[in-house]
Amino acid sequence: MPVITINNQRIEVSEGKTVLEAAHEAGITIPTLCYHKDLSPYGGCRLCLVDIEGVRLPTTSCTYPVTDGMVVQTETPRIVEARRTILELLLSTYYDRGDNANDGHKNELTDWANFYGVDLAKYSAKEPRYEFDSDPNPFVHVDMNKCILCGRCVRACAEVQGRFVWGLSERGYDSKVVAGLDQPMLEARCESCGACVAYCPTGALDNKMSIGMGKADKVVSTTCTYCGVGCTVELNVKDNHIIRVTSSPEGMVNGMRLCVKGRYGYDFVHHPDRLTKPLVRDYLLNGTKRAGGADRGKWVEVDWETALSITTKKIVELRDSFGADSIGVLSSAKCTNEENYLMQKFARQVVGTNNIDHCARLCHSSTVAGLATSFGSGAMTNSMDDITAKAESIFVIGSNTTEQHPVFGTMIRQAVLKRDVKLIVADPRKIDLTEFATLHLWIKPGTDIALINGLMYIIFEKGYEDLEFIANRTENFEEFKANVMQYTPEITAEITGVPVEQLYEAADILGTSKPCAIFWAMGITQHIVGVQNVRTCANLQMILGNVGVPGGGVNPLRGQNNVQGACDMGALPNVYPAYQAVVNDELRQKFEKAWGTPLSPTLGATVTEMIPSIAQGKIKAMYVLGENPIMSDPDTNHVRHCLEQLDFMVLQEIFPSETADYADVLLPGVTFAEKDGTFTNTERRVQLVRKAVDPIGEARDDWQITSEIAERVLAAGQRKANPEAPYAGWKYESPAQIMAEVAALAPSYSGVTYERLENGERLQWPVKGLDHPGTPILHLGQFTRGKGVFAVTQHIPPIELPDKEYPVLLSTGRVLYHWHGGEMTRRAKGLMAVYGQSLIEVNPEDAQKLGINGNRKVRVTSRRGSIEAEAWVTDRVPSGMVYANFHFPESPTNELTIAALDPIAKIPEFKVCAVKVELVKE
Amino acid sequence: MAGNDKDGKTISNTVQAAVDRFGASQDELIPIMNEVNRELGFLPSEALDEISHQLRVPRSRLFSVASFYAMLSTKPRGKHVIQFCESAPCHVAGGREVWQAVMDHLNIKENETTSDGNWTLLTTSCLGICSVGPVMVVDDDIYGNVDPAQVPAILDKYR
Repeated sequence: MPVITINNQRIEVSEGKTVLEAAHEAGITIPTLCYHKDLSPYGGCRLCLVDIEGVRLPTTSCTYPVTDGMVVQTETPRIVEARRTILELLLSTYYDRGDNANDGHKNELTDWANFYGVDLAKYSAKEPRYEFDSDPNPFVHVDMNKCILCGRCVRACAEVQGRFVWGLSERGYDSKVVAGLDQPMLEARCESCGACVAYCPTGALDNKMSIGMGKADKVVSTTCTYCGVGCTVELNVKDNHIIRVTSSPEGMVNGMRLCVKGRYGYDFVHHPDRLTKPLVRDYLLNGTKRAGGADRGKWVEVDWETALSITTKKIVELRDSFGADSIGVLSSAKCTNEENYLMQKFARQVVGTNNIDHCARLCHSSTVAGLATSFGSGAMTNSMDDITAKAESIFVIGSNTTEQHPVFGTMIRQAVLKRDVKLIVADPRKIDLTEFATLHLWIKPGTDIALINGLMYIIFEKGYEDLEFIANRTENFEEFKANVMQYTPEITAEITGVPVEQLYEAADILGTSKPCAIFWAMGITQHIVGVQNVRTCANLQMILGNVGVPGGGVNPLRGQNNVQGACDMGALPNVYPAYQAVVNDELRQKFEKAWGTPLSPTLGATVTEMIPSIAQGKIKAMYVLGENPIMSDPDTNHVRHCLEQLDFMVLQEIFPSETADYADVLLPGVTFAEKDGTFTNTERRVQLVRKAVDPIGEARDDWQITSEIAERVLAAGQRKANPEAPYAGWKYESPAQIMAEVAALAPSYSGVTYERLENGERLQWPVKGLDHPGTPILHLGQFTRGKGVFAVTQHIPPIELPDKEYPVLLSTGRVLYHWHGGEMTRRAKGLMAVYGQSLIEVNPEDAQKLGINGNRKVRVTSRRGSIEAEAWVTDRVPSGMVYANFHFPESPTNELTIAALDPIAKIPEFKVCAVKVELVKE
Repeated sequence: MAGNDKDGKTISNTVQAAVDRFGASQDELIPIMNEVNRELGFLPSEALDEISHQLRVPRSRLFSVASFYAMLSTKPRGKHVIQFCESAPCHVAGGREVWQAVMDHLNIKENETTSDGNWTLLTTSCLGICSVGPVMVVDDDIYGNVDPAQVPAILDKYR
């Protein structure tokens, strides 16, 4: 290792470091502006000049690599003089009208100017050169008068986000930073992630929503509420209000990265629609009968006591008259692990039913079922940082990663840009990620099994399979292979629409660029063959020997912030926490002993079964936590028809959602910003959620509300818990205490404690004990179930394909700027400013046939319903297919979708149904 | 989308021809942009979009290059482009008077284009032929020892 001397201090440095890095490591500060450790060195601002013995002129330390014996001085008189001159020159084009750097970090330019005694008033520009707030982007405030051309925004956009929006234009004195072809940012394809703001040293780029908000009272580090990536966010709070969200280099998963929702989608927390008091329908107070059908009467604000006692009375009454299985409980993947644990404990211990489920049913139930069968456990096997650092190829099938897991999407882009990772994207749409792909397999929707079987055919044909892995770690190979060999390239091309040459090209990448990590999301799971799709992905990775290796694995990207945790906690009708089966006598007895009540030995109903069974009189009452089936479940008209007939629904929510129309009692819960707890992200990493603001109005922590209801129902009803049992009670002091109960009962969480998480430990389950470090990669050496089992899977077409009457294929999903049913994001001003209404993606050829010129309203009709929305004419979708999102109640896409279910996972086929599209005459 | 330039050639055809000539490589970016600029008179945003697509170079980078080099333009230029040397030797040799004469004759200022679209007036740094200053360049033709009185006659050649 080279030894160098800086300011007469001898320092040992690792090879390849720059002088600046060496100095920083030794605790010697060298001033910088254009430098940031996340970005490539630029040497533009010249502030980091140092004197190096033997080098005639002062040299930029950020670009100069160390060599053995080098002697460096960082603060000689001529260096200090040079820095003063540089700062004076930078200030000569710097004009600050006083907006301040609102991102919460310091203004690095003025700080250094003050440090070197440069008079700001004297040297700053006297006149602005550019328009203030010159870009209409609702999130980013642009004031080029404060720009010092350090290029950190340009590099952040390229090297962190991978979007290349910013560039440096013109030359000399006229140089300035511009977006795209000198366009408004959004037209230059900006994704509004705010990375440029986070890296700007002067506040030339700033958070528009926070201008004038001043300094925060406190900054609370917590976990984002949107997707399953689980980014660390810093909530900057002033007067009990979130005034901005920032990222920090300490972010566990994300570092400085965030997406537009995470950084700018926070204002829903303080939206006036928030529920602040318990509400009950007037009939419950008058003692009158409820009016029929959808009309449940007026809402009346009541105190908590009234709302909770009415809820208790109704649940006890209906349970005791119709049996425990007449009650359905829906938990929430938006809520914490602790809250999910309590919801399933409530269903099982207090009510006595296994009718507990949540929206994982609608997203990854097929993954959980499929992988549990193939491998013995159903979660993402590898970690995001492991894959982006070590994969040689990445195969994304049915995941619109850059829009749905945006921060992980940026990591994939960077893996392609920086490490030249081969990326294969299989998707029926030309999603943004295809721009970075080596190969885009533009498949017909619902042909995933045929595609992967066809690729495996070629892999066998070319001898790419890992014989040793197959022999030692798998079973059922022969039968599986015989099936695969029916999928010749020609047959596969015929079914999938992917040309034979591309199939060979893809198989070559998979066979020669190893390890390969496969990723999927709803494009694989939301089909009637969802489980078979997942098992086919598992088959592929087994024949290639890509499981249990760094940089490989089978990686379902979980959608909601805590959908992994909600599943882990047993908010599912078939398992207790940590996937312990309810039908297993031994495991059931374990929980009976722990909770002190007999437990139901029969499987509960899934959400997709529960709601339809209301119409058959099986389910009488529901306790729903933060779910919105009116927006999220298939065939909305039928969902409405069923919920109308429910005798009683208690809904615990933050907003009066579309489902609230069907509730009898509405209890105000709190958002992620108002609570403590844990979320488990897509890579099984348990992370802390920390309270930043006090609950709004009379809203209460969801775990407290559930505990209150549980205590009351146990006290009032005939079903009692044995008080001697260790976990019979519901008197919890804190979420940490609930986690201790989880750890005692769920083996994979047994080593998870708040203390360890507070210490910054990286805990990915299974965490088998207090001294166990967690498991970043699953199935190392052995599968959870012993050997991995190959599945024989056959292509089965989607249940409803286009025909004469409904000639167009509809696929559904989400967009970057919105989240799920949209309850939160539709109440975030900036997100609505960018994407304020539903848009239906229509291919230009089809648009021409329909007579759409530019954006025009279309009506989309299926056998189940009809919606109207604006068309977005784009070649993202092929001819004959349209794509719609389900974020907007004005265009409720799920009125169109079909409630056809996978026979095992009961997941609906959201991804394919048949529609007709007409132009709406205006 | 394909726009048409003055000769009815589509912008995308022009880009395609340049890409075919130099090869679809990022190393050939400047020759390609120069060729397209020469063919179309400037680099319209459609052309930059097409180059971006073909060479897989972000538009922001193309704009950086296009706005950096004086030989490239992102704004429409006149049918004929005058580049007038603004360096000191030409200046002291009477360049200021010639410059004024050009502006008066065309009734435009620096970086402007005449309303009939015939002329664009630019300045340039030293062309290295100071011995014959003042110097101006019209399209590809160089004129030395220019006198204010000669200006109308020189420009008339391009009518």
